[in-house]
Amino acid sequence: MVSSIVLYLIRRSINAVITIVLLLALVFILLHTIIRSPEGLARVICGNPHCSNSAIALIIKQNGLTNPLWVQFFSYINQVFHGNLGIDTFYRGRPELSVIEAFLPITLELVVTGSALGILIGIFTGSIAASNRNRAQDYGIKAVYLTAWSAPVFLVGFVLQLIFAYWLKLLPAHGIANAFLTPPKVLTGAPLIDALIDGKWVYAYSVAQHLVLPAFALAVASFGITTRLTRASMIDALDRDYVKLAYMKGLSKRTVVWGTAFRNAVIPIITLIALTFAFSVGGAVIIEDVFSYYGMGYFTVQAIYNSDYPAILAFVLIIGLAVIIANLVADLLYAVADPRVRLT
Amino acid sequence: MRRPIQATVTTEVATGTVAAGKGKTTTGGWRFYLGFFMKDKPAFGGLIIVAVFVIWGALEGLMQLLSLWFPHGRLFGHPYSWALIPSNPFVLNFSPSYKLQPPSLAHFPSFLFGTNVDGQSILARLMYATPHDLAAPIVVVGSALLIGMFLGTAAGYFGGWTDEVIMRLTDAFLALPALILAIAVGVLLGGGFTSVLVALMIVWWPTYARFFRAQALTIRERGYVESSKLSGSSSLKILIKHIIPNSIDPIIAYVTLDFGTVILFLAALAFIGVGLSLYPEWGSESNFGLDYFPTFWWWSIVPGIIIGVVVIGFTLVGDRLQDLISGRMTY
Amino acid sequence: MADSDDSDIVDIEGLTITYRTVYGNLVSLNSVDFKVKRGESVSIVGESGSGKSTLGLAIVRLLAPNASYSSGRIMLDGHDVTKLSNRQVSLLRGTTAFMIFQDPLNTLNPVKRVDVQMLEAIRSRLKQEGQPFNEESAYKEAVDRLNDVRMPDADSIITRYPHQLSGGQIQRVVIAMGLLMRPKLMIADEPTSALDVTVQAQVLELLRDLQRNYQMSIIFITHDINVAHSISERMVVMYAGEVIEASPTESLVKNGLHPYSQALIASIPTISKSEGKLTAIAGSPPDMISPPNGCRFHPRCPHVMQVCTVQSPRTTVKDGSEVRCFLYG
Ligand SMILES: Nc1ncnc2c1ncn2[C@@H]1O[C@H](COP(=O)(O)OP(=O)(O)OP(=O)(O)O)[C@@H](O)[C@H]1O
Ligand code: SF4
Ligand SMILES: [Mg+2]
Repeated sequence: MVSSIVLYLIRRSINAVITIVLLLALVFILLHTIIRSPEGLARVICGNPHCSNSAIALIIKQNGLTNPLWVQFFSYINQVFHGNLGIDTFYRGRPELSVIEAFLPITLELVVTGSALGILIGIFTGSIAASNRNRAQDYGIKAVYLTAWSAPVFLVGFVLQLIFAYWLKLLPAHGIANAFLTPPKVLTGAPLIDALIDGKWVYAYSVAQHLVLPAFALAVASFGITTRLTRASMIDALDRDYVKLAYMKGLSKRTVVWGTAFRNAVIPIITLIALTFAFSVGGAVIIEDVFSYYGMGYFTVQAIYNSDYPAILAFVLIIGLAVIIANLVADLLYAVADPRVRLT
Repeated sequence: MRRPIQATVTTEVATGTVAAGKGKTTTGGWRFYLGFFMKDKPAFGGLIIVAVFVIWGALEGLMQLLSLWFPHGRLFGHPYSWALIPSNPFVLNFSPSYKLQPPSLAHFPSFLFGTNVDGQSILARLMYATPHDLAAPIVVVGSALLIGMFLGTAAGYFGGWTDEVIMRLTDAFLALPALILAIAVGVLLGGGFTSVLVALMIVWWPTYARFFRAQALTIRERGYVESSKLSGSSSLKILIKHIIPNSIDPIIAYVTLDFGTVILFLAALAFIGVGLSLYPEWGSESNFGLDYFPTFWWWSIVPGIIIGVVVIGFTLVGDRLQDLISGRMTY
Repeated sequence: MADSDDSDIVDIEGLTITYRTVYGNLVSLNSVDFKVKRGESVSIVGESGSGKSTLGLAIVRLLAPNASYSSGRIMLDGHDVTKLSNRQVSLLRGTTAFMIFQDPLNTLNPVKRVDVQMLEAIRSRLKQEGQPFNEESAYKEAVDRLNDVRMPDADSIITRYPHQLSGGQIQRVVIAMGLLMRPKLMIADEPTSALDVTVQAQVLELLRDLQRNYQMSIIFITHDINVAHSISERMVVMYAGEVIEASPTESLVKNGLHPYSQALIASIPTISKSEGKLTAIAGSPPDMISPPNGCRFHPRCPHVMQVCTVQSPRTTVKDGSEVRCFLYG
């Protein structure tokens, strides 16, 4: 029993590794399509626009930039595994990884909060809609999720800002925390978690306040997807004979809906978690722009405006890795939830 | 009264199925579909939104082409490209009575959605931008269908290593957030509408490849291919001949929903500044208003609402089509 | 519910059930009358789509959400099922009537072990009876029932997940689960059609013995006249959502009254000889959304008369059989 779940996970991990290598190849190909000459690449690695010619020549030699592409590819992979993603030209000379270290946790905190919120609410409303199919609750929920699903993310952001920040003046519209407060010691890089660990309650409160609106804006989109899928998955489960059999045992509707149907319907939803996470990372790029939330997405938008290609590619790589890991976690949960996967 | 039990399948009475609607009742024809949409008010509303959007997008697209071919041609005294639009979407007018005006009935219908900092009518700019939002879904979804059908069918048909390679590639693409990948490719290609289209085409095909692979596998399992081998015709040809009719129903609903998604992606890319040019885009219009928000809120909000309305139209229609496919449970 | 001991366990009158579909309303049962006495075994036969499952599901009120009870009443053990609240119906389900559904492979909850699912049934029954639940004795009862349905190796089967069981094993588990509820009426919707022939025979034998030992009533839904003949005392023939004949099994098989019943009986030897599935009766089944006027069978009936095409025949009683045909009045 244990061995088959282990086998399943090994299979999944091998797939993940293959996916990572493909991802690296993709990024590598993109980089080399844009910058073709070894000098250009050396300039990127140097990071200083005023790099001297001799320095460039040295870099070309050190990095083997004149080698055949496949040799370069392997040394690229090697470098990536040693944490070297190239040098960020915009943040002058700061190694890519440290830039990412500074910005990534901020975005992850936002994305995880937002998508978790959206997924949890979505699962609940989707189930309610399905178990009241073609009744008022269903139509009401459907109207809400279709709207949530169709609204562009930035519109949601603007509307939330307008209502809660400018009209009701309940919450701040911009930034991560009140700029006049002293920030906590950096441990994880995620502002809320750091503030809590450091015991800076006022700062933590300020971060939480700033987090509400952008997280909510992200939640709206994942709420739309989750509700839609949960509803479909629940309807499918509710039509199955095992649900009728549960009713035949004299169980109440509540027990049947949540104990039998939901337990089965949740299995396909697990896959959705990774998907929603990926989707929310995309949304975060826009939301961070709207809310001046200085995370990874904001960093990307800056990189776009500065045509900072290596930074963009580093971002793609990191996000790709995060999503692949999220997928692995989903696979694990999947195996736990479904005995048909666990025991074969 | 004990009788021997002889349970034999051969004495089954029933062979035919009583038509569950699907049988002899008419299901085809535009009358049926129109009636089917009319029965669901929101879906009918969606159909109207989509119709208005498609007709306007096509018409204005045609006018812009005409304008390209006949730069000096005039209609109602204006160049073709904005002859059907309330006012010139590019003209600058910094007079205080034109700059940053809120939505109003003044200069009807020019100020209906307000004006921007250059004194341009937002309505005019949004109307001018429509052809892109119509062309993008057609090109992107169309190419995704073709690429997906090619790769998916090949994977399902050849199996083995071909399948393995194609599916791993598909997984790699699916592992990345589509928007992020589209941003990277769009920026690297150097901007402009074409590079945005190419970027979207590159990220869009994997779902379709998966779908067509599954189709090819079921059709192989049903044994059409084996029997066609006996009759001597090429099995790949037979496979494709069976895949297309079997895929039309499920794919139509999905494609309709996907049209909306492409429009959202286009807007998102434009919003963060990928592929911008002088040509207005719904998403970038919204972003330009960011610095003037919230005082001049309409500049950001109105384009967002228009995008939302169009996407909702596609969503409602696609949702209703899915009802039709999933069959009898709905009415 | 001792108050209704001498009444029929099922008494349906004028039941009409409509499905709303994309293509229009589908009248799946059209003013159906149907009775089952206590301890009696009745089988319902008819072509696919004639409304057999709908009738069974209506009795336990588990119709699909797009179905509506248009008219008529369903008395189950003295209660009108169409009028009860959800809670009241859940008290009738299981202990009064238990239904085995058509497709055995999807009948068990795939994510729960068999023992968990069986204990759930016992717990629910005890709750309805107002008695305390004891895990150990419940477990023993579950294994006993599995032995009752002649499940080999019950002790190990009970600890498995459904996907680790065969179709025949699942069907036995479901029947055992039904027995755990101690129902007065068992509705079996083609419990054997998905099983292979030898298993079919065993399950049928089993059901027949159980009915005798437990004094249950049985409604047996089937395509197969042979099966119906061997298991039931009375047969009800359905066509296009209507009951067209209800007779004691012997008399129906010897001389069925309705032209459709006659055609069914006549088709049996022909089919078994040629060993193939043939369309038993000339013509195709009717379109249920716009069924033929008059007698629904008239487009395929060899005895069709002028009146049959315009008027719908009423049920008449002849020699202890109820029949719906103008040939008999
Ligand atoms: N949920 C539903 N929605 C719409 N129509 C339905 C639904 N369920 C059944 N029907 C239709 O109602 C009619 C009766 O169906 P029912 O399942 O009762 O037939 P049946 O006699 O049990 O057939 P079978 O032998 O195939 O099981 C058929 O025409 C069927 O297509
Ligand atoms: S009523 Fe008429 S058509 Fe119908 S079965 Fe009897 S004889 Fe045939
Ligand atoms: Mg049935």
